[in-house]
Amino acid sequence: MNPIDPRLQEALDGERDPGELSADQREAYHRLMNAGALLATTPVGSVADRVMAEVRAHSLQVQHAGHTARAVRWLTRPRAVTFRLKPLWTLGVAAAGLAAILLLPGEPSRLLSPGAAEGVARFVGNFPGARSVEVVGSFNNWSRGSLHLEDENHDGIWHVTTVLPAGQHEYMFVIDGERWVADPLAGRYVDDGFGAGRQNSVLIVRRNTAADATPQ
Amino acid sequence: MKSALALCLACVVWSPSLSAQHGQHRLQGRVPEAARPAIDSIIATAVAESLPTEPLVQKALEGSEKGVPPDRLIGAVRRGLSQLREARIIVARAVPGQPVAAGHVAAVSAALARGLSPAIVERLLTVAPNEPPVPALHAAADLVAHGFDPDSATDLLVDAHNKGLHGDRLLDVASAADQELQRAGGRTHADALAKVRAMLPNVPSPATPVTHRGSSGTKL
Repeated sequence: MNPIDPRLQEALDGERDPGELSADQREAYHRLMNAGALLATTPVGSVADRVMAEVRAHSLQVQHAGHTARAVRWLTRPRAVTFRLKPLWTLGVAAAGLAAILLLPGEPSRLLSPGAAEGVARFVGNFPGARSVEVVGSFNNWSRGSLHLEDENHDGIWHVTTVLPAGQHEYMFVIDGERWVADPLAGRYVDDGFGAGRQNSVLIVRRNTAADATPQ
Repeated sequence: MKSALALCLACVVWSPSLSAQHGQHRLQGRVPEAARPAIDSIIATAVAESLPTEPLVQKALEGSEKGVPPDRLIGAVRRGLSQLREARIIVARAVPGQPVAAGHVAAVSAALARGLSPAIVERLLTVAPNEPPVPALHAAADLVAHGFDPDSATDLLVDAHNKGLHGDRLLDVASAADQELQRAGGRTHADALAKVRAMLPNVPSPATPVTHRGSSGTKL
């Protein structure tokens, strides 16, 4: 601690006129007097008092806010949510997830649920380079645009699985919307009767069981 | 006078529903106008003769979608009518004393189109007169299409029926015969039929959904 100059000490004690001090000492004298005056001031309140005052003010604001504002504030305020799981439940949830992964269909046909007088039919064709492939037949009144095959991985194998009425159906593939071809895998064919030597594929859909466009 | 008016009114109310019942409304806007009167007439004839009209409507829709010229379209529908007439005669002969079911007539007509002879069709209908004929007829048509003797193939199917195989299981009999034929060892058609006959009624059935064995589609 630096010793204070005796003349400065005397001025602070009121025993000497500050005007007798040097310029540096006068500056130090005024700083010390201001600090003393500040310390002598009574604080407005403690830290705790000021915090509680803020809380009370906020509470008043909330009371005066409308129901909607309060609801919005309640909804948007982040909240901590705690789950308390027993280890047994955790294992059960994990087992259920695994079962779902294993049992859920990898094939769309398993998702289809034919009625008593229906069956599942799957159409497959290898048409590399095709832009579109669809099935047109007696089951859709020979109208285009209702049953498209898909080639998700672009390997040229187009396929679709659908539910059809049980019984016999005739059909053809339409490639790129203009070229009619018989299903090369159908195994059953019949002349289409229009005199151009073209054949329809024949499909027998088995009742409420999976059938195939080539059920050989 | 009142009764005549009532009759006219009934005709007006009845005609559209009759047309809808026979599927002619589905031809509207799809069948070329040039072919429409003739096709309507053919369907009306089928209605008058109590023949099923659905195969004719389907043939008209098919030809229209394929862009077949009107004259060939009309010809195909007319041949369809003739085939339905022939089919009804076969059904009536095979199951005498019973009303001829429209479904049986349509199935027989399709079997004739696939190349089965009337005699084979009639025999199969006689064996199981009260069963849906589609599986048996297509099983026979499958066997004939794969080169089996028609009479021998029919014998096999009749044996299968007598040993308790019905409906779609007859298609399994045809599949089994085809598989036997394809086995290595130069098996003849007769050998394949004998082999399947020996295993009756335990022919393999598709336990799981049948899927395509491969793909041999057209390379574009």
